[in-house]
Amino acid sequence: MKNLLNKELRLSAHLLSYLFLAFSFMALIPGYPILLSAFFVCFGLFQTFQNGRETNDILYSALLPIDKKDVVKARYIFVCLIQIIAFILMAVLTALRMIFFSSAAPYANNAMMNSNPVFLAWTLLIFTLFNTLFVGLFYKTAYKFGKPFISFIVASMLAVCIAEISHHLPGLEFLNTSDRLPLQLMLMFFALVIFVIATIISCRTAQRNFDLLDL
Amino acid sequence: MTPILTVENLIKTYPAFRLGPVSFEVKAGSIMGFIGRNGAGKTTTLKSILNIVHPDSGSIRYFGHELPGNERVVKQRIGFAGGAVDYYPRKKISDIIAVTRNFYDNWDDVAYRKYMDIFSIDPQKTPRELSEGMKVKLNLVIALSHKAELLILDEPTSGLDPISREELLEIFTALKERGVAILFSTHITSDLDKCADHITYIRKGGIVASDTMESFISCHRIHGEGSNLEEIMLCCEKEDYREKFAE
Repeated sequence: MKNLLNKELRLSAHLLSYLFLAFSFMALIPGYPILLSAFFVCFGLFQTFQNGRETNDILYSALLPIDKKDVVKARYIFVCLIQIIAFILMAVLTALRMIFFSSAAPYANNAMMNSNPVFLAWTLLIFTLFNTLFVGLFYKTAYKFGKPFISFIVASMLAVCIAEISHHLPGLEFLNTSDRLPLQLMLMFFALVIFVIATIISCRTAQRNFDLLDL
Repeated sequence: MTPILTVENLIKTYPAFRLGPVSFEVKAGSIMGFIGRNGAGKTTTLKSILNIVHPDSGSIRYFGHELPGNERVVKQRIGFAGGAVDYYPRKKISDIIAVTRNFYDNWDDVAYRKYMDIFSIDPQKTPRELSEGMKVKLNLVIALSHKAELLILDEPTSGLDPISREELLEIFTALKERGVAILFSTHITSDLDKCADHITYIRKGGIVASDTMESFISCHRIHGEGSNLEEIMLCCEKEDYREKFAE
């Protein structure tokens, strides 16, 4: 697996998958749907899948002396690695904003979602959508990514809309305030559990599908 | 002696095409020419024996061991080169090799440098900067550097100029003399006239014959079907379009 991950990082990965990590800094932009930062990180990962098809990455991998299923596992690990780096970056930025700028006017008067643990929870859910809808569906064919990516776009945009509307609903204001931190952290850990479980299930299903494929 | 590769009754069915049953053997230190016209089933057969395509039935044994369950070990001992396939065209060859070498237990850096030198491949170039012949040579370098005992070559000389083809045939002959077995799929039969020991002929998905070159040629010569591979293939495959148009 170490060798396959090395291949993912050095040969398979598209440069944009790394560069788009910079979108994590969007977490600090007031008056903007900051959840799009998670979408853009996933869009960077999408470039690796597109690049893989152009560079015969799957055929190269399938011919290596490895278990075919590990090709899929290595890709999931790569995707999760990028997502975890993005998440850590966003978490650090969120913590800095909450410690030093929680009462700053642009954030205090922000009608949109501020970066807080709930934002991080939604970020994990968007990553989950990418791993299950895009990556999971992609490995049904290992070359068609149109339908999987459109499914992810629709679902993630819906998630962004729900996230931005929800904290305006009566009784749910705590989702975007700074006084209910324990509850917000609980939601974030709940999202983390969903991310881990859904990604593992998606990876196993994708491995089974890929193993049955004629390349 | 146990054959390096044994294929028995391989069958794969697609909605519009049925491959098989395909059976043949490849022995150590020999070149097996796998011939047939475009669409006859050569590539599907090769993909099946590499487990890239799943056959419906049949048995594939490498070095006496069944492929299912031994794929990891088997692929350590074989190499593949396809004429039309190139990987990571914009990555430096040295970077591709730095990653690839880690997968092979028997990777030999000295042999790698020697073959890169023999084939005059600059590791600082990218695959897209190589000619088609050089790309095949690069795949051969990778296979030889991990001491592959069987080379599976899918139309490696297609699209190459006569000099590059001649060079590759010389290389294949030299490898054969060193004990490497080669399964060489092609529709350019003149290449096989120069180097093959055995011939397997596939037509419309089915095996017509699998024999030594001498037996194959003499058998068809007796029936007046030609005295070399090209004449035999033409005799078996050619359709009379003049008659068809006249109907």
